Amino acid sequence: MKTLLVGLGNILMGDEGIGVHVINDIKQRYSFEPPLEILDGGTLGLDLLHFFEEKDDVVIVDAVNFKREPGYIDILRDDEIPSKINAKLTVHHIGLSDILSALKILGKTPKKITLIGIQPEILDMTLDMTSVVKERFNELIELVINELKEIGHKCVLLSPQK
Amino acid sequence: MRAVENALGITIPDNARILRNLISGIQYVQDHVIHFYHLHALDWVDVTGALKADPAKTSALAQTISDWPNSSPTYFKAVQGKVKALVESGQLGIFANGYWGHSAYKLPPEANLMAVAHYLEALEWQKDVIRMQVLLGAKNPHPQTFLVGGMATPIDPNSQNAINAGTISAMLGYAKKAQDFVEKVYIPDLLAVAGFYKEWASIGGGVANYLSYGEFQKDTKSNTTNCWLPAGFIRNRDLSKVEPVDHKKVTEDVAYAWYKYSDDDKKAKHPWDGESTPNYTGPKPPYEFLDTTKKYSWVKAIRYDGLSTEVGPLSRMLVAYASGHKRVKEVVDMVLGKLGVGPSALFSTLGRTAARGIETLVTAEMLPTWINELAANIKKGDLKVHNGDKWDPSTWPAEAKGYGFHEAPRGALCHWVVIKDKKVANYQCVVPGGWNSTPRDAKGQRGVFEESLIGTPIADPHKPIEILRTIHSFDPCMACAIHIVDSEGKELIKVRAK
Repeated sequence: MKTLLVGLGNILMGDEGIGVHVINDIKQRYSFEPPLEILDGGTLGLDLLHFFEEKDDVVIVDAVNFKREPGYIDILRDDEIPSKINAKLTVHHIGLSDILSALKILGKTPKKITLIGIQPEILDMTLDMTSVVKERFNELIELVINELKEIGHKCVLLSPQK
Repeated sequence: MRAVENALGITIPDNARILRNLISGIQYVQDHVIHFYHLHALDWVDVTGALKADPAKTSALAQTISDWPNSSPTYFKAVQGKVKALVESGQLGIFANGYWGHSAYKLPPEANLMAVAHYLEALEWQKDVIRMQVLLGAKNPHPQTFLVGGMATPIDPNSQNAINAGTISAMLGYAKKAQDFVEKVYIPDLLAVAGFYKEWASIGGGVANYLSYGEFQKDTKSNTTNCWLPAGFIRNRDLSKVEPVDHKKVTEDVAYAWYKYSDDDKKAKHPWDGESTPNYTGPKPPYEFLDTTKKYSWVKAIRYDGLSTEVGPLSRMLVAYASGHKRVKEVVDMVLGKLGVGPSALFSTLGRTAARGIETLVTAEMLPTWINELAANIKKGDLKVHNGDKWDPSTWPAEAKGYGFHEAPRGALCHWVVIKDKKVANYQCVVPGGWNSTPRDAKGQRGVFEESLIGTPIADPHKPIEILRTIHSFDPCMACAIHIVDSEGKELIKVRAK
């Protein structure tokens, strides 16, 4: 079982960094059996390609423009992903849909891709996330953990929820 | 980092110099190849045109221009199948932003198919060769191992977790792979594609002044002029004279930029005295039109000796060519000869794109030399990567000023630092994207992009692929490219309509 958990986003741009904050928190507070790869994907584009290859499951956490109210959470799976985020919200989304389509034409798409996304409120030069997004932080973590359990990982909480 | 080293008078160890050269070198090679195939090629190559190609004829074409092994009819047929599946699925993905079928596409179907095949090969190739960067820099494209005084990449022939004989041999392997692809795929493709677009050798020239700070140091002195790719300034396309570079000639005004200077927005400042106080006075977004008679840009008017100046591979290759750099001269002359054009063709969109390829080839050829320099030092027992003499702030003077030159893949980059009482009192970065996307200055001189777009023929104002060709030829970062396509692209059409 080869699983990748990746957080995307720019932590210098407020809510945009939510994905990275979520995976960092999970990395610190959980252990997994069998182990999985946890990656801060930042705003990398094609450089992420080889991390996605030869994986059975890829779980992505990211800010997504669902065109809904800030804090709205949704899960997109496999082919839903590139088509649903075609309206590009930030630069690195081009990276994500690029990677996914590159994987497709190279015939190296992971067996399952899950994107757990949240509608951001503010994308501006700040290290702080807005309260509406912060309030849903634990919910996002729970969704990620559920997803990882579904895949077949035993998730052990090392330190309690914030 | 180099700015601080310069301010504090730090000399780096020879191994740090070599490691920096290697990281920059592999970054040039990988970055330029990705730029050509994955960001720029589709301005010239019609992906959907590849569907009409005859795989057998494509194979014949590929074999005439190169002995690269992936060139059989079966291979090209398989690639065509992949493209077809993608087009039919309606999910063009990476190819989604193209102006497919546009009349400005000139390649025959077979050349389109060949280029698309190499587009895919380059995707695979880049993730292997960049492992060299990862070995030395830990992360691409933002290496983590640079620090003031040298590098944080340990060298120890007796450790598994440091640069050792195994790393050296792995790097030589990546360098070979890099060079092979550039020599046998990138350069032949570049020449083949350019052959169909020779009119672009007289479009997109721009401002006529070219700057390179010099890169790939041959000694360990701060901001040395002893570089493998030389420093220099070329004024008004005069290749008979290369002026030495003086960092004091770099200035910025904010007459048309959304900043406020404490004295006068029109007065150009050297970065040591630079100020960056944002002052947005434009319309509330989203807007249709930007009034360019007022402030209209987030980029300051960056000038060299008061002149709007281009930076990037073209500038570096021109400075090297005009300085008599032997290998650069050979490759430039070979490319010009094959295309049947003179050196003046370099001052153009096509010249810019060709210069990037030329630079990739000569840099790829140099990688083994630097790797062997490192190996020779290790053999001598020289393992030092960092000079920590000035690590402790108590060793610093009360006041210090420095500047640090670097040639990033996209062009000239310099940081200026003023240190007072062991703290940063001012820090200014003047970066390649800034030089090229600079707005008009207080004297009304246009910026580099602006000047390069004047007179561009546009077949269809709603699909201005011709503008993309010129803007992409500068290799603005992806973020900038998107921004520019939307705003500047539309604006130019207005300019032309006047």
